[in-house]
Amino acid sequence: MIGEISHFLSLSAALLLSLVLIFNLFFFFNKIHQNQLTLSTRLFNQACWLVFISFGMYVYLAISDDFSIAYIASHSNSQLPAFYKVTSIWSAHEGSMFLWIVFLTAWSILFINSLDKKHPLKKLTLLMLSLIILGFLLFLLLTSNPFERILPFGVLEGADINPVLQDPALAIHPPMLYLGYAGFVISFSFITAYLLNGNFELQWEQDIKNWSFMAWIFLTIGITLGSWWAYYELGWGGYWFWDPVENVALMPWLAATAFIHSLFASSKSNVLKTWTMFLGILIFALSLFGAFIVRSGIIDSVHSFANDPERGLYLLSFSGLITLLALTIFAYRLPLLNSSKLVVTGSKESFLSMNNILMVTSIFSIFLGVTYPLIIESISGEKVSIGPPYYNTIFAPLILIAAIFIMLSVDALWQRSMTLKTLFITMVAPTMASLLSIYLIWQATNIFSILAYIGIFSGSLILFSYLFRTINKKFINKGSAIAHVGLGLLFFAVSMNSILSYEKNLNLAPGQSISVNESVQNFSFKDIRVFKASNHDVISAQVLLLQDGKEISLNPQKRKYATRGQITSESAIHASVLKDTYLTIGDQLENGSWTFSLKINYFIKWIWFSAALMVFGILLTIFKKKPS
Amino acid sequence: MLQVRKNRLWKLVTILFLSAGGISLILFSLNSKLDLFYTPSEMLQADIKSGYRIKLGGMVKNGSVKRDGTIIRFLVTDFIKEVPVIFEGVPPDLFKEDSGVVILGHFLNGTFEAEEIFAKHDENYMPPELTIDEAKL
Repeated sequence: MIGEISHFLSLSAALLLSLVLIFNLFFFFNKIHQNQLTLSTRLFNQACWLVFISFGMYVYLAISDDFSIAYIASHSNSQLPAFYKVTSIWSAHEGSMFLWIVFLTAWSILFINSLDKKHPLKKLTLLMLSLIILGFLLFLLLTSNPFERILPFGVLEGADINPVLQDPALAIHPPMLYLGYAGFVISFSFITAYLLNGNFELQWEQDIKNWSFMAWIFLTIGITLGSWWAYYELGWGGYWFWDPVENVALMPWLAATAFIHSLFASSKSNVLKTWTMFLGILIFALSLFGAFIVRSGIIDSVHSFANDPERGLYLLSFSGLITLLALTIFAYRLPLLNSSKLVVTGSKESFLSMNNILMVTSIFSIFLGVTYPLIIESISGEKVSIGPPYYNTIFAPLILIAAIFIMLSVDALWQRSMTLKTLFITMVAPTMASLLSIYLIWQATNIFSILAYIGIFSGSLILFSYLFRTINKKFINKGSAIAHVGLGLLFFAVSMNSILSYEKNLNLAPGQSISVNESVQNFSFKDIRVFKASNHDVISAQVLLLQDGKEISLNPQKRKYATRGQITSESAIHASVLKDTYLTIGDQLENGSWTFSLKINYFIKWIWFSAALMVFGILLTIFKKKPS
Repeated sequence: MLQVRKNRLWKLVTILFLSAGGISLILFSLNSKLDLFYTPSEMLQADIKSGYRIKLGGMVKNGSVKRDGTIIRFLVTDFIKEVPVIFEGVPPDLFKEDSGVVILGHFLNGTFEAEEIFAKHDENYMPPELTIDEAKL
């Protein structure tokens, strides 16, 4: 019964949204009266609340184990803790689409009600928002209905959530990611509304600035959580695989990063306005493209959901339509949009614009990498895939140039050109210091890799620029500095990780011990135990390492889950400041010995830390007190 | 021609030139860095330079997995042809006999030397080629 009510509420929300859409379209060419605007806002609010209540009831259905609902029956289980019963909702396609709609709605209702009652763009923003939400609601109800019942009788027990997804980081990774993607619906709708409105005297940057910053924060947290989860849960010891689905998340992130930079510049010194609008449209278009890639299963990836051509077709048409609509409006208004000033060469804005171009270049390169296999396959029928080597060679030079521009912009001024002399002075100290650090690293490690050294050099350039500026006691914008130091640290950590990390495959019998290398002087396989846990069987190895003079005890496990018969590895990780000792247990051989994979991962924690710094920096920017 | 127009033309030419250069660099790098995907029969038919990195997809033949220390040998089959594979290390959890795999590596002297074995989140995963082939059968 509750299932039907929940279903009905979603349907009513769709109906109400179509009303809002028609209502606002009716006033498209006419001036809307204040009362009518208030009415359509109220209708929109009610539609949003219907979505929330419907989702709330769906959460209740999941917690109360209503296995007559097909989706819940195939993704949850009565033995699961309540927390995972809730998160099982977004463990597969239908439920995660539902969640995505809830977030779209939540951002929209918050934004619409934050606008002034008489805001001149309210009518058109409402129009865009209701169009987008309605499009996704119809997608949910028509192609991916989570409310479907198993008729006439439900099943007694659910099929359970995939065990690798029973994890706190993964439980909150999709919500964070969706919050990020969905948050950019605000800038998208508002910019489109501004362009449609045609009164270019209006200021629009301030209205969406903090919203976009918040969305960026969620997107960053979402991507980082996914990477962290993959690192400790999948047992491969990697944190980023350049998998198509990671790439389609990185593209909106890069666009969003470019956007918040140029939005900052355009609200600060009235430049790059048109460009900022274009980026605002691009982010959401790329998010929609990402949704299409993931949901249609058109590209083979570890993240692929069940493939369904109908869903793919709908998403492709819908996102194509929305994007085309926005770009057409943009192109139509382009000749009139010359309100912004020109960028002064050598000013802060000029370096910022250069990096904007670099970010768009990297988006284009990733886009090409993602779509190239599809193009090749449709032309020649050959199956190809594009892996890390492509992305590494593309990104190394881009990162280097970006770092140089960041270094220059640290000392540059807004709207004023930097003299050649200051330019030179700015560059000398960080460049020398970075070259020196590369030399020292080379001496210490004796490893040479051109790509990694480019990365280390780029990271150091950024870090030293800020360091020297701090030492010289010059003014520093704290939020921006912290975020950029995070970026520098990220370049540094990723590169160091790539040259220093290594893997050893070992084969030992219980009770046996061997010496691995100078660092891991002793690897002793004490014992192996088999026992039962709540919903799985566990094989747990006890290993004692003597690493760098310290004793470390590690318990890598293999688990076999009862309901799905699936086997997962639980790697044992010992973390220190510089490196992680990462041990995975393999299989038992006929002679009774076991295989192990021992990975020493350097600077891995620094990667998560640098993402945290970036988020913290942007948070500071949002909550900075306005100078009065 | 007006000076303004001349300048604009030059700008346009420079932009076109630079982006053409950029795109060709990217395409060049793409061509040397992409991995072709083959099934065992396709791979044995195609004339692949030894040491050229490819992806091989198929099923792990039942009863073919042999372990020797940290080295694993097995046969990958598409039910028409088989290819012996050698891999050192711990394969992913979903690697088992009679289930689908995708292997990155190179073909050398009749053996496929695997660098990496991929398995999917989904335990029912099959390489797309095989699903098509089976449907044909």
